[in-house]
Amino acid sequence: MEKLLLRNVDKENSHTIEAYLRSGGYSALRKVLKEMTPEDVIEEVKRSGLRGRGGAGFPTGMKWEFAAADLKEPKYMVCNADEGEPCTFKDRIIIEKDPHSMIEGMIIGAYATGCRYGYIYIRGEYPIGRKILERAIAESYDKGFLGENILGTDFSFDLYVHSGAGAYICGEETALINSLEGRRGEPRIKPPFPVNAGYLWNPTVVNNVETLANVPLIIERGGEWYASIGSPDCPGPKLFPVSGKVKRPGVYELPMGTPLSEIIYEHAGGIINDRKLKLVFPGGASSSCLTADEIDVPMDFPSLAKAGTMLGSGAIMVLDETDCVVRAALRLIEFFRHESCGKCTPCREGTDWLVRIMRRIENGQAGEEDLDVILSISETMENSFCGLGMAAHNPVASTVKKFRDEYLEHIRLGRCPFRSS
Amino acid sequence: MTLEEFRKEIEKLKSSRKYLYNGSYILPALWIAEKNFSAITPEIMRTIADVLGVRLIEVEEAAEFYAMFHTKPKGKYIIRVCTNLSCMLRGGEEILEKFCDLLGISPGETTEDGLFTIEAFECMGLCDGAPAVTVNEERFLNVTPEEVPKILKKFGWKGK
Ligand SMILES: Cc1cc2nc3c(=O)[nH]c(=O)nc-3n(C[C@H](O)[C@H](O)[C@H](O)COP(=O)(O)O)c2cc1C
Ligand code: SF4
Ligand code: FES
Repeated sequence: MEKLLLRNVDKENSHTIEAYLRSGGYSALRKVLKEMTPEDVIEEVKRSGLRGRGGAGFPTGMKWEFAAADLKEPKYMVCNADEGEPCTFKDRIIIEKDPHSMIEGMIIGAYATGCRYGYIYIRGEYPIGRKILERAIAESYDKGFLGENILGTDFSFDLYVHSGAGAYICGEETALINSLEGRRGEPRIKPPFPVNAGYLWNPTVVNNVETLANVPLIIERGGEWYASIGSPDCPGPKLFPVSGKVKRPGVYELPMGTPLSEIIYEHAGGIINDRKLKLVFPGGASSSCLTADEIDVPMDFPSLAKAGTMLGSGAIMVLDETDCVVRAALRLIEFFRHESCGKCTPCREGTDWLVRIMRRIENGQAGEEDLDVILSISETMENSFCGLGMAAHNPVASTVKKFRDEYLEHIRLGRCPFRSS
Repeated sequence: MTLEEFRKEIEKLKSSRKYLYNGSYILPALWIAEKNFSAITPEIMRTIADVLGVRLIEVEEAAEFYAMFHTKPKGKYIIRVCTNLSCMLRGGEEILEKFCDLLGISPGETTEDGLFTIEAFECMGLCDGAPAVTVNEERFLNVTPEEVPKILKKFGWKGK
């Protein structure tokens, strides 16, 4: 397939505005400002069928329509560059190698929704990305794509970078907004949604980096063209970061709906040392696992939901036959315990108890009844306040269900069968 | 940086008019502190609260909540070793152990000479180069245990 999102990343100095302009960059913004009304832009994005790439898959055109309909001023456009989901590194490629594509997408989004100010919320762990973005923003101001009266029109938009400081929960959009206000990153109740009451309780559009990088393409080539790529009900190109036990870890751009098995075996080169694949987390650290028999599934939002898991960030994590399922699930739930903000009980207590039980199992000090306790905690965690707690138990619960024998072996042997001693 | 210089920096930050709300300057101000001091002390937090005109507790809350802010003294170089899943599958824990062995400290601790702090860290988005390590803002990818002494020496480690 023709490279779309990654069309620029291999070019020399692809992060500079000169390189971006040479490859036709900012022509979508010119087109928008010269020929299109904000309503036209929203219609085009709706026609494209673009769904958010941050994890929830919400239709972008609809989000923009809601924000545009809210008359409270000023409105804010926020780019979610927190990319905290373990083993997700797709936005990093755009931030570092093609920052102007997301900035252009953001300016277009601001025009469509009537946002006056914009912030890119980047995770503290991406200091290199932050510098690249700051430089790119300065370049964009220089050329008149940002600031007052952009390209001689009466549209004005100011853009800044805001750096997080190491908290996964700040990727959740309402926690992100709290963090932007200088508070602890704790989620707010929804509704009201950010499009009506976000930053400083004003209308705020929050979009993921990859989502925004799609926007110039849609404007240049049309929503209809975009809708013809990949899965019909969830179209477009998608970035898949693949890591773990594959021969060629990396970010692969493929049409939405590409089978998981094709991504692992053709694009990522198959499993290290040609071992057997044991399991895959197909959509980041909070997705339920798939076994080797289940990987023919198309990688898009509806197909993975039907398979009992989720696309999430699209991060594919591959384990082979020599890896311990219990240890992997334990490591992920340790992450969530560390990142739980503590605001609500099911998540704060649930992640803690799951870690304790999983450690007992890994160390061979558990009983079979512990597996039922895990599943009951997991059920309770469904009632958590935000998406973190609602999904954090998935890797543990799904492996208990699908790899029960391996759990039982730990219990029977009184140790981890994958450790030599 | 002296406290007086720091105060000037925060005043400069505030006059950038980047935000329409003073609370939003708290994180950027804490970042300036994090980069220029060994620890974000109560005095520093008071300075931030004072200049921004926010309550001290708001600054304290933020400083405590975010993992990358150090309210206890840290070393000149912070070594972050990722131990999350993709790095774990490719030997991240051995890398962490090697660093700890060589420096004679445990994760979260700082060497006596104040040169290094070592942290067992969560995913840093460098999983295609697992196992991944960062030292301040520099990245090291596909790290092997043999490379660990070389990395340390680059930052002035005197051991062997
Ligand atoms: C715990 C949690 C973490 C999240 N982390 C991120 C993240 O790192 N990046 C991101 O874009 N969205 C993240 N999201 C999703 C955001 O809340 C939000 O849906 C998204 O940024 C909206 O943008 P989109 O519509 O373009 O996808 C997270 C959600 C939850 C519940
Ligand atoms: S689910 Fe977890 S992260 Fe979300 S509000 Fe509750 S405690 Fe905080
Ligand atoms: S798991 Fe180590 S950098 Fe992502």
